[in-house]
Amino acid sequence: MTPTPVLELKNISKRFGGLQALKNVTFDLYPGETHALVGENGAGKSTLMRILSGVYSDYEGEYILDGEPTLLRSPADAQARGIGMIHQELSVLPELSVAENVFLGRQPLTPWGSIDWSKMYRIADEELGHLGFEINVKRPLEDYSLGIQQVVEVLRVILSGARVLIMDEPTSALSPAEVERLIELISTLRQQQRSIIYISHFLEEVMRVADRITVLRDGQKVDTLKQEDTSVDHLISLILGREVNATLPSATEHEDKQTLLEVRDLCSDAFNHIDLVVGAGEVLGLYGAVGAGHFDVARALFGMYRVDGGVIILDGHEFPQRFSASYAIKRGVAYATESRRKSLMLEEANYRNITLPHLGRIARIVPNRKREVDIAEPAMQMVNVQPPDPHNAVGKLSGGNQQKVAIARWITFPPKLFVVSEPTRGMDVGAKNEVLGILRNFRNDGFGVLVVSSEPETVLAVADRIIIMSRGQIVSELENQGNLDKDALMRLL
Amino acid sequence: MTTQTEAVPGRTTQAPSTTEIWLRRARALAPLWTLLALGLFFSLASDTFLRPINLNNILVQVSTLALLGTGLTFVLLTGEIDLSIAAMVTFVGVVAAHLFANLEIPEPWPTLIALGAATLLGLVNGIATTKFRIPSFMATLAMSLIASGLAIWISQGRIIFEISEVSRFFGSGRVGDTGIRVLTVVAASALLVAFLVLRYTRFGRYVYMTGANKSAARLAGVNTDNITIAALVICGFTAGLAGLVNVGRLGSAQPQVINSFLIDAIGAVVLGGTALTGGRGGIIQTVFGLLIYGTLRNGLDNIPQIDPFAKEFITGVVLLFALVVNVVFSGRSSRDRT
Repeated sequence: MTPTPVLELKNISKRFGGLQALKNVTFDLYPGETHALVGENGAGKSTLMRILSGVYSDYEGEYILDGEPTLLRSPADAQARGIGMIHQELSVLPELSVAENVFLGRQPLTPWGSIDWSKMYRIADEELGHLGFEINVKRPLEDYSLGIQQVVEVLRVILSGARVLIMDEPTSALSPAEVERLIELISTLRQQQRSIIYISHFLEEVMRVADRITVLRDGQKVDTLKQEDTSVDHLISLILGREVNATLPSATEHEDKQTLLEVRDLCSDAFNHIDLVVGAGEVLGLYGAVGAGHFDVARALFGMYRVDGGVIILDGHEFPQRFSASYAIKRGVAYATESRRKSLMLEEANYRNITLPHLGRIARIVPNRKREVDIAEPAMQMVNVQPPDPHNAVGKLSGGNQQKVAIARWITFPPKLFVVSEPTRGMDVGAKNEVLGILRNFRNDGFGVLVVSSEPETVLAVADRIIIMSRGQIVSELENQGNLDKDALMRLL
Repeated sequence: MTTQTEAVPGRTTQAPSTTEIWLRRARALAPLWTLLALGLFFSLASDTFLRPINLNNILVQVSTLALLGTGLTFVLLTGEIDLSIAAMVTFVGVVAAHLFANLEIPEPWPTLIALGAATLLGLVNGIATTKFRIPSFMATLAMSLIASGLAIWISQGRIIFEISEVSRFFGSGRVGDTGIRVLTVVAASALLVAFLVLRYTRFGRYVYMTGANKSAARLAGVNTDNITIAALVICGFTAGLAGLVNVGRLGSAQPQVINSFLIDAIGAVVLGGTALTGGRGGIIQTVFGLLIYGTLRNGLDNIPQIDPFAKEFITGVVLLFALVVNVVFSGRSSRDRT
């Protein structure tokens, strides 16, 4: 490594009112290096990232860029100095062509001042080729997968002159194959002497891409380690600050499970001939890559995806061909989506989010606020929402706690079948284990649980049986008795 | 009955500083400050502004607007808009007067039929918006043409001068010997009922949730289509009430649409602090918006030095300023977080 770092943070501290978000954090980044930033939700990763990318300019400590103390005034300022940010939620315009997205805001012009389309297409094509992607740059970006869209965003940031790329959870929405390609892309970028700050919850990925890893906990730096000096388990213990018990609460055996949900030959435009059975007291995992149609199966069970044919029988009741979400709720189906933003009212109080699906049962016309709170409180306690204030707005909770609220809303009037999509997406290790434990408890109480996910770890950790979907079809079904591993699932895709 | 949970509302997780709390409260009350500032200004600038007669005048002047604003609040809270209300006012007036004067149908039928017709048009708005997925902006714009077109067609473009006692009672009657006008009472009752419904009922909760996050509301089993339809139906109904009151006030049914009704109603509701994007606001806010509007319009009339041709311009400037103060400041607190 060269002796001068591209970027250096010295003794950075940042407060939000009474909350010390960062305390004396030191961080450096060398040319051509990939430096990962890991830590639990709330450990200070996002705050540090916002300081790095110029969002926050009021902090204590020194920001040194190319050996000179600097104050970045805004993200645009950071961009101008070569620090580019790739957000978890991409900022691409899906309706525009690939090339237009690559040159967003900086289209090459002809001498007459009109857009030089041929030059734009040529350069976009070349540059994508350098990164190892052969795609038609004239087609709209929405025709391509999320992985490609991300590559386009990366390219755009690079072409705008970024030497330092900050990637925030770049793989959270990618399929395993796309993750592989992203990892290749990162090594290409490294060869081009670009520096990358890589923020991720997926420690195995971090171990594969990073040269060095900085662990944050409670706003402070725990350590910066070279990749070869650490391991996933070691990182987990640093992140949590304690030795971890990797095993989840073990399952009590339910033999001769009663069939709770039976789905026969369910078809729609996103999936075909889906047959599955969930027993009472069983967790069924439905696993597939992003776009395999498994999330749409979950929606269909809740009446929110249009099916063309097939039968859904819950507890002996056959559902009509078309039914509403409120019908599904009445019949005992609970559904937590993969997107918390879509399922929770972030600006509303916890208790209102929890009672919303059941208002009709709580009161015919006028809901009594005190009664609502009385219902919400024990539900929040049962899943351990922190802080447990029912009047707090959901949006003020951390991601993991928001997910717990999304689950808590179904506890008061217990469902028969609990359908959960991506229960642990974007969560830190601690919150993940907690949520999976809650799902296990549902199962041990005799509910049926259907976990729909594209994260192999999640399905493997919690499901008794796993059904694997690919391109809208069921391709395989496995018993999960601790004998399966990630590779097995990924190979079956 | 319950002893343990009594303490719940008082519990807080992290105590923000006292100044912060006061600042937040002061921001939330921005419309009140605006109203007080305007009131103070006009009472100093004009001798006549603060007289009881004039204050009553303000109430009378905003009553029609209040009826329109009541229904519109529901619609804006669900995140939709209704551009047909001004045309509905005209339509209802013409229908009621036509049935009474030209077809000689006895009351209360003309009033009831006209109100029913407006409600029905609201239903059409709702169905077009939800079942046919036409943006409410376009659906109600078309409805605005339909309603005003019907008004012109039915009346054959002529003003109907003969109106029923019922209309007259609504528009210019007084309550007993007091100076309080019936239309003020009608408007106040509509606002009160709407307030109770939005604040305390299940339906009211669904209205807010539909506007705040439609997909989340649907995932919680709320039939958001029905809620949107209901909001547009309510808006049609209150626009109908406004139409009846308006005919009674004017003493005749005119086939021309008074477009300022639409702009003023949207202006007042938004000025109060109800978001155009839905989910935030309410009747209290609308009341403040109406009073600010009424005070501004009336106050300018009470200062004889002002060039009457400049009033519209001044109103616009003050409104824009008030909007900046109200919407930006009170909206900021909830948008602080990233």
